Amino acid sequence: MTSSCVVSFTILLLLVGCSARPLYQLPSKTDNKYKHSLQTFRPYNVAHRGSNGEFPEETAAAYMRAIEEGADFIETDILASKDGHLICHHDVTLDDTTDIAEHSEFANRKTTYVVQGVNTTGYFTVDFTLEELKSLGAKQRYPFRDQQYNGKFSIITFEEFISIALDAPRVVGIYPEIKNPVFVNQHVKWSGGQRFEDKFVETLKKYGYKGSYKSEGWLKQPAFIQSFAPTSLIYISNLTDLPKVFLIDDVTIFTEDTNQSYWEITSDSYFDFIKDYVVGIGPWKDTLVAPQTNNYLQTPSDLVARAHARNLEVHPYTFRNENSFLHLNFNQDPYIEYDYWINKIGIDGLFTDFTGSLHNYQEWTSPLSLGDEDESKLLHKIASIISKYIRK
Amino acid sequence: MTSSCVVPFIFLLLLVGCSARPFYPLPSKTDNKYRQPLQTSRPYNIAHRGSNGELPEETAAAYMRAIEEGADFIETDILASKDGHLICFHDVTLDNTTDIAEHKEFANRKRTYEVQGANTTGYFTVDFTLKELKSLRVKQRYPFRDQQYNGKFPIITFEEYISIALDATRVVGIYPEIKNPVFINQHVKWPGGKRFEDKFVETLKKYGYKGSYLSKDWFKQPAFIQSFAPTSLIYISNQTDLPKIFLIDDVTVPTQDTDQSYWEITSDGYLDFIKEYVVGIGPWKDTVVPVINNYLQTPTDLVAKAHTHNLQVHPYTYRNENQFLHLNFNQDPYIEYNYWIRKIGVDGLFTDFTGSFHKYQEWTSPLTPGDEDASELLHKIASMISKYIRK
Repeated sequence: MTSSCVVSFTILLLLVGCSARPLYQLPSKTDNKYKHSLQTFRPYNVAHRGSNGEFPEETAAAYMRAIEEGADFIETDILASKDGHLICHHDVTLDDTTDIAEHSEFANRKTTYVVQGVNTTGYFTVDFTLEELKSLGAKQRYPFRDQQYNGKFSIITFEEFISIALDAPRVVGIYPEIKNPVFVNQHVKWSGGQRFEDKFVETLKKYGYKGSYKSEGWLKQPAFIQSFAPTSLIYISNLTDLPKVFLIDDVTIFTEDTNQSYWEITSDSYFDFIKDYVVGIGPWKDTLVAPQTNNYLQTPSDLVARAHARNLEVHPYTFRNENSFLHLNFNQDPYIEYDYWINKIGIDGLFTDFTGSLHNYQEWTSPLSLGDEDESKLLHKIASIISKYIRK
Repeated sequence: MTSSCVVPFIFLLLLVGCSARPFYPLPSKTDNKYRQPLQTSRPYNIAHRGSNGELPEETAAAYMRAIEEGADFIETDILASKDGHLICFHDVTLDNTTDIAEHKEFANRKRTYEVQGANTTGYFTVDFTLKELKSLRVKQRYPFRDQQYNGKFPIITFEEYISIALDATRVVGIYPEIKNPVFINQHVKWPGGKRFEDKFVETLKKYGYKGSYLSKDWFKQPAFIQSFAPTSLIYISNQTDLPKIFLIDDVTVPTQDTDQSYWEITSDGYLDFIKEYVVGIGPWKDTVVPVINNYLQTPTDLVAKAHTHNLQVHPYTYRNENQFLHLNFNQDPYIEYNYWIRKIGVDGLFTDFTGSFHKYQEWTSPLTPGDEDASELLHKIASMISKYIRK
């Protein structure tokens, strides 16, 4: 061979090597002829912070486990880093759910800010760049839950959270929260005068999330946007028609942006107003059915009835298995609690720390109907049921 | 009327008044044409001390609640009072489950005795007559359970417990334990040289409990007799053919009567021997599947060995609270039930939460419906095919 052939050949090899593209499609990217769709006939199983009963909250592992366990939606809280990246993290501080205390390089970052009117001291996410946040290890918040994964997982970004949902083998919805927007907008500035809410919606649009509740576009990539701040929800209603859920805190807490009381935001007239912007409310469950001092439930309030009358869904938070969170009516049994809320109170979705348990409960008491491919199985099932009536 | 009529008339009234018998049988005493039998198609739901997750243990209320919640068997521990009455009570002392501390009249009864080799101080049941015991009120042992019934219920006797089972509207078995027999026989004497075990079996016979396991008699009134003391079980095997269960404590605890170690009484040789007297074993579940750092390890071969010797396995005790649930179970008692029933394959379990276990069983292995459910069945089939009906 002449040297010019060798050179051309080498260049060709380099080209191929650098593009490194497989000549066949990756298995997960082929057109799935059938991706199990979102169920809509029974209340939504919303994996609150992922399956954080088992894994540290809001980590990739917690979300993947939740999907494995049958979650309809994986839920997250979106905050921001110092350099404006959107991250999945519940607390404005890092103290309770990361190993920040072990990072002596950040020891001088501890500070005190006012958060929703309360002086709060700790290490704030808004004081750390994304790279710095990624150097931390997440830990399990509650000491009575599994500690073995502490330090093994990192904080993830909003985009990484979305990827987990989109990559699932069935349709899994997302349920992100615009968290502490007043605080975040005070501490983090984006270029072009954009606000936290703008970046939030921008991220969703980037990944193709759009469509009003139960529209065709929505069913392909289901999503709810939640927030405690009504002005944030109203603000983004111009930016996206994705369904929004208005979160309601305890009876003593005022809204962080409009300083309205619980009684005001749960009044008939407020519901009449907010229903044009949201498809549902997410209340703290003890305000729907308040416990007495002896830890027994009282008569339910009329909140669910009034919400339903205005076509607002009700997704209360948060359901946990541990008996310290179960009121005595439930005999230390989380399934009896699910039964009460789903069948007696009639809610439309639940935020739970224990996706697997709620999924078990739902599968055992209201199993999903079989798909078309199961017709012959259905006939077999009916045959076996009536066979015992055939006289032998 | 003459006075001579009045006297016989008054006499007659007195007679009727004193016998006071209705001329029709009481509803619960008519021949039940159908009393739902004991199920044997899935592991037994044994209400450990009654439904004591909700109500104070071993009270009438706890047992009636357990029956309401679907228990196959209600379980109890039999001890004795000073005057030889058999009572339902778990601890040899009254301190943890009664209001004895509030009874000044008994303040001087506190004692220290040796119980299974350990010095124990408290108010012992064997130092109180039945009448005195009946003046006490039972309380919920665990502070994290419902305290609202404290002080409302008394201790009940073995006979009262049996009545609760026999009066149930479906067939409910009993599962009494010959508890601390060595201690009882040391402290309580019965006339005619009778022992605790004799009185125990006598009581069962008085109420018609008899028959070997799965016999016709047994199905009418199912019962298991349990004990940690092998000699007690062997002793009563001459007196009754009711099935017996050999309880096995933690690996560090030797038997109270024969001082044998856990390793000895779970050996092949011992199981070969004891299987002539018992139909099963009741081990502490953490010895069947050992636990390290609150995680389950590889299961031992105890269940396999027992099953090979045709012995049932009924482990104790299953509780809903997360402090009792090993981390493999995700704080979910139903996942624990699922593991023991599906993976380990036990034949029954002692649970403090009868209702939860019943739900688990009804949802995952429901009993086949009876004939009266034909219309329900049609409804079920209709709903199954309704989705195929074009709207």
